[in-house]
Amino acid sequence: MIASFDAIEVLLALCLTGSAFVCLFDRHLIRACCFFVVFAVSMVLAWWQLGAPWLAAAELLLGVMLTSPCFFYALGHLSPGASAPLKRDQFSEPWSRVAMRVVLALVWFVMVGAAIRFVIADMVYSPAEHPLLLAGVLIAATALAAFALHRHLFRRLLAFNLLGSGVFILLSGVAGSSAAAQALISVGLLVAWLGSMLGALLIRQLMHLEGVEALGRDGEPKESTT
Amino acid sequence: MNAAWLPLTALATSLLVAVTIFALPEEARRLRTTINIGAAVVKIILVTLMVRRVAAGHEDIFSFQVIGGLDFVLRIDALGVMFAGLSSLLWLCTTIYAIGYLEGSANRKRFFGFFSLCVASTIGIALADNLFTFLIFYEMLTLSTYPLVVHRGTEKALNAGRVYLRYTLSAGVVLLLGAVLLNNLTGDQSFSSEEGLGDYLNDHRGLLTLIFILLVSGLAVKAAMVPLHGWLPRAMVAPAPVSALLHAVAVVKAGAFGILRVVYDLYGIELSVELGVITGLAVAASITIIYGSLRAIAQQELKPLLAFSTVSQVSYVILGIGIFGPFGTVGALAHLLHQGLMKVTLFFCAGNYAEELGIHRIDEIDGAGKRMPLTSIAFTIGALGMIGLPPVAGFITKWYLGVGAIQAEMYWVVAVLVASSTLNAMYFLPILHRLWFRPGPSHGKGNWPHEQRLGRLETHGWLLWPMMFTALISLGAGLFAGLPYSPLDWAARVASGEYLP
Amino acid sequence: MIWRFGLFDSTFAPLATTHWALLVALVFPLLLGVLGALFPPKRAFPVALASLPVLASGVMLLSAFDQSGLLSWQWEIAGLILSLRLNGLSVLLLLTTQCIGVAAALYTPGYLRLSETGPLARWLWPLMGVVLSALSLIWLATDLLTLYIALELMGLAAVGMLMLSGKAPALLAGMRYLLLALVGSLTYLLGIALILGHWGRLDLQGLAKVIEPGPVAWFAAALIGAGLALKAALFPLHAWLTPVHENAWTPVSALHAGLVIKASLFMLLQLWSILLPDTFYAPRVIAWLGLLAIVWGGLLAWRTDSLKTLVASSTVAQLGYLMVAFPLLLGPDIAPLPRALAWEGFWLQLVGHAFAKAAMFMAAGNLILATGEHTLKGLAGTSRRLPLSLLVFGIASITLMGLPPSSGFTAKWMLLQAMIITQQWWAVAALLTGTLLTAAYVFRMFRYSFDETAPRHRYQPLAPGMDLIALTLALIAFALGLLAHFPLELMHGGSP
Repeated sequence: MIASFDAIEVLLALCLTGSAFVCLFDRHLIRACCFFVVFAVSMVLAWWQLGAPWLAAAELLLGVMLTSPCFFYALGHLSPGASAPLKRDQFSEPWSRVAMRVVLALVWFVMVGAAIRFVIADMVYSPAEHPLLLAGVLIAATALAAFALHRHLFRRLLAFNLLGSGVFILLSGVAGSSAAAQALISVGLLVAWLGSMLGALLIRQLMHLEGVEALGRDGEPKESTT
Repeated sequence: MNAAWLPLTALATSLLVAVTIFALPEEARRLRTTINIGAAVVKIILVTLMVRRVAAGHEDIFSFQVIGGLDFVLRIDALGVMFAGLSSLLWLCTTIYAIGYLEGSANRKRFFGFFSLCVASTIGIALADNLFTFLIFYEMLTLSTYPLVVHRGTEKALNAGRVYLRYTLSAGVVLLLGAVLLNNLTGDQSFSSEEGLGDYLNDHRGLLTLIFILLVSGLAVKAAMVPLHGWLPRAMVAPAPVSALLHAVAVVKAGAFGILRVVYDLYGIELSVELGVITGLAVAASITIIYGSLRAIAQQELKPLLAFSTVSQVSYVILGIGIFGPFGTVGALAHLLHQGLMKVTLFFCAGNYAEELGIHRIDEIDGAGKRMPLTSIAFTIGALGMIGLPPVAGFITKWYLGVGAIQAEMYWVVAVLVASSTLNAMYFLPILHRLWFRPGPSHGKGNWPHEQRLGRLETHGWLLWPMMFTALISLGAGLFAGLPYSPLDWAARVASGEYLP
Repeated sequence: MIWRFGLFDSTFAPLATTHWALLVALVFPLLLGVLGALFPPKRAFPVALASLPVLASGVMLLSAFDQSGLLSWQWEIAGLILSLRLNGLSVLLLLTTQCIGVAAALYTPGYLRLSETGPLARWLWPLMGVVLSALSLIWLATDLLTLYIALELMGLAAVGMLMLSGKAPALLAGMRYLLLALVGSLTYLLGIALILGHWGRLDLQGLAKVIEPGPVAWFAAALIGAGLALKAALFPLHAWLTPVHENAWTPVSALHAGLVIKASLFMLLQLWSILLPDTFYAPRVIAWLGLLAIVWGGLLAWRTDSLKTLVASSTVAQLGYLMVAFPLLLGPDIAPLPRALAWEGFWLQLVGHAFAKAAMFMAAGNLILATGEHTLKGLAGTSRRLPLSLLVFGIASITLMGLPPSSGFTAKWMLLQAMIITQQWWAVAALLTGTLLTAAYVFRMFRYSFDETAPRHRYQPLAPGMDLIALTLALIAFALGLLAHFPLELMHGGSP
C-alpha cells in the first residue's frame, strides 16, 4: 500500500521536475507554455495526492484555467488582432553572467535545503520518502536560477510562476496540510495569478509600444536584479 | 512674575512678518513697507520692555518640552537682551535702507520675507536658553540667509552661496555633534544654571575639551575666524543691506555671541580657564585680527576691504573673552555692539557710494567728500571708530581690552592691539585721504563711474537717514559711554554678573 | 522589543464604536476607491467630503487608544486565527497613512485635469483605495497570514498604480518592480513556511513566546529579511526604485515613497524583533548597508540631472538612516535609555520622512507640471515664477536634511544621542555625512532655481490647492520637530 503510494508520488515528482525544466529552459516559448500547462496539471494531482483537495481545486481554477491563458495571451496567441506573436527567446547571455547566476542558485539551493533539513529532522535519513519535497527544493532552486538568468521578461514571468509552485510544495511539505498552510498557499496562488495577469498585460503593451527588443532591455549588467 | 509672552512675542513678531510677506503679492509694495517698518518698531518697543524687565531683575521664561529630557526654552537675560537690542535696532535701520536700496528691483517679496526670517533667527539666538534651542535658530539663520546671498541670481552670487553653505552647514554638523555629546554628558544644560560644568571636570576632562573645541569651531565658522573665514569675502556679492546685516549683525555676530554663550554661560569662565582653552581662543583671535587686517590692506575694492575688516574686528570680541578678567569681558561685550553699529554704518556708506556714484573700487573714490558730504562724514566716523580713535565707540572697546590685558598680564595682547590699530589705520586712512583731500570728478577731474541723481539731497532719503542715524549712535555710544543703559554700562552689568557671584 | 509592538494581552475589550471605527478605517478607503472608479471626481471637494469619515475613524481609534490603551481583536474563521491590535505605534502610523492618503487623493483631481493621463486614469482611484486599506491592515495585523495578504494586496496595487502612466519606460520599470516584488513575496512566504513548519502557528504574540534562537529562526529571518528588503528598496536591492518613480504620476509616487516602502520596513523590523531578538550580526549587516545607502543614495541624487530621480534617490539615502538604527533596536546589550531613544527616533524619522517625501514629490510634480521640464536645468528662474512650489520643496528638504526645527532634526538628535551612548561612532559619522550629502543635492537643485539669467518661458498655471496640499504636508513634517512630544507620547503609552 505504502509502496504504491510512493511510486505515484515519485512519478508525480519526476513529472513536475521534468516539465518544470523544459518550461524554464526551452527557448521555444509556446512549447514552454504548453509544458507549463502540463506542470500545472501535475500540480493539481500532487495536491490531491497530498490530501489537500481544496488546494487541488484552487490550483485547477487558478493555475490551469486562469494563469495558463494569461501566458498564451502574453505570447499573442489568444487575441487574433495582436501584433507579432512571440515565438523564440533570442537574447543571449555572456558566460560570466550565467556562471554567477548558477552559483547564486546553488547557494539558494543549499540554503533552502539546509533550512528544511532543520525543520524536518528525519528527512536526512530517508530523503526518498519525501519525493515531492525534494522536487519542490529542486524546482524552487532552478526557477530562481532561471529567473535571475533570463533577460526575456516572459521567461522571467514563467520562472516566477514555477518558483511560486516550488515554494508552495515546500510550504505544504514542511507545514503539512493545516488550515493555515492551505490558506497561505491559496493566497499565494491568487497572487501568482494576479501577478501573471498583470505581467501578461504589461508584456503585451510593451510589445505594442516598443517591439520585442524592449522585453530584453531589463538585463543590462548595471541593473542586475539580485 | 513670569511674562512668558514677552520672549515669545518678540520672536513671533518677525516670524509673523515673514509669513505675511510671503503671503502678500509681489506688487503690494506699500503694505509690505508698512508692515516691515511697523514690526521693526514694535520689536524695538518689545526689546525696550525686556531691557526694563531685566534691569528690574525679572527673568521671563517661555518653555515647552520637545522630547523627554529636552526642552525648547526662551529666556530673557542681560546678555541676550544685548544681542536682541542690537539686532532689533539695526533691523529697523537696515529695513529702511533696504527699502530704498531695492527700489524697483525684482524679487523684493522674497528678499524681505527671508530678511525677516533672518532677524527672527537672531532674536531666537539671543533668547535661546539651552544649546538645543540655540542650535535651532542658528541653523535657521543659515537657511534664511542663503536666499539673501544668492539674491541677485548671477553666476557669481550662486557660487558665493554654494561656498557659504559649504562652510556653514559643515559647521552646523560639527556643532550638532558637540551639542549632542554635551547633552549626553550633562543632560539638558541651561545657560542660566549657576553650576556650570565644573562637576564633570575630574572625570571627563578630555571629553569636555573635545566638546569645547567642537562647539567653538562650529561657531567660529560663522564668526569668520581664520582659517574658517573663506565664505565671508565671497558673500560680498549680495546687495549692500544684506552685507550690512550679515556682517554687522546677524551671521558673524551670531557666531561670536555663540562663543560668548559657550564660554560664559555653558562652561563658565573658571572652567574654561581651567581647561586651558581660553588661551587657545585668544591666540586664534589674535591671528585672525592680524591676518584680517593684512588682507584688508591688499584689497582694491571697498566691500571686500570691509569684509576683511570684519574678519579682523569680530575677533576682538573673541580676544576679549580670551583675556581673563572683568575688563576683557566688558570690552568683548561692548565691542559686540560697537562693532555692529560702526560696521553697519560703513556698509551703508559703501552701498550709497555704489548706488549714487557707481563707486566700487577704492581708487574711484577720490574727492567723493565734496559730492556726498554726509555719507563721507558717516564713513569717516565709522573708519575712525574702527581704528579706535576717541571719541568714537571703537575707542572704548580697545581701551578696555588693553586695560584688561595689562591686568591679566597678557602683554602680548597689547602688542596685538597696537599692531592691529596700526594696520587698521593703514587701510582706512588712505581712503579718508582720498575722500577728502584728493581732487576727483567733483572737482572737475574725470567722471564718476555711474552717476545717478537719486534724491534731492546727496542721495535717496531712505538710504541717507539710516546711515546718519547709525553713525550718530556710534559716535554717541563713545561720547556718552558713562550714561546708564549705554552699551558699555550694559556690558559692565553683564560682566559683573559673570564675575561676581 | 516585543511589548513595543504591542504584542501582549490587552486589558480592555474594545467598545462597540471602536469596532465601527476599525471597520471604517480598514474598508472605507477601498469602498471609496471603487466609488471613485465608477464616478471619477472632477474636483477636490467631493474627495474631501468622502475622506472625512476615514479621518474621523482614525481620530476615533486614537481616542479609543487614549482611553483604554492597547486594544486587540481576534477572529477564528475555519480554523484560521486572524488577529489585529491597536497600540500607539499603529495609531501613529494609521493616522500618518490617512493624512498622506487623503492629501494624495485631494491632489489627484487637479493633477489629472492638468496632465494628459489617458483612459487609465479611472483605475487610479480603486488602486489607491486598495493600497490605503492594505496599509492600514499592515499597521494593525498581528498574524502572519493577515500580514501576508495585506502585503500582497498592497504590493500588487502599488505596481498597478505606478504603471498607470502607460509610457514604455514606466511599463518596463513597472514590470521589473512587479517581478521583483513577486519574487520578494515568495521569499517571504518561504520564510513563513519554515516558521509554520517548525512552530506550527502564525500569530505573532504566540510566536514571540515560543521562538528560540536557532538555525530555523535564522533561516526564516534571512528569507523574510531578503524578501522584505527587496520590497522596501533597502540598499543593495534598490535599483528598481528610481526608474519606477521617474515615470509615475505624482500622487502615486507620493503614496509609494511615503508609505508603501515603509510598510515593508515596518514588517521587517517587527518580524525580526521576534525572530532575532538580541542578535549581533544581522542588524549590524543592515546598518552597514545603511551606511552605504546613505552615501550611495546621496551620490546618486547629487549626480542626477532629473528632478524626479533626485527625489527618488534621496529615498534610498533616507532609508539608510533608518537602517543604521537597526543595531540599536535589535542588537544585544543595549541599555533601556538608548533603546528607547532609538525607537522613538526611528519612528519619528519614518513618519517625518513620509510626510516630507510626499510633499516633496508633490512639489516636484508641481514644478514639472508648471514648467514642462523634467531636468534640474529646466528649473532656472522658477524662484521668481513658482515661489510657492519651491518653498514647499524647501520646507520638505529641511526635514530631509535634518536641519532644525524639523522632525528630521529631532529624530536625528535622538538617534545621535542613542548612538553616542552606545558608542557607535561609525553610525554617528553616517548620520552626519548624510546631512551634508542631502544638503549638497538639495541646494544643487535650489542653485538652478535661483538662476536669474535663464530665458523666460511660459508656465502652465496650477490648479488651486495643489501647492497648498503639498504645503500642508511639508508643514506637518516640519512642525513634528518641535511638537515631537505628541507623537512620541503615543508610543510611551501602552507598556504592559
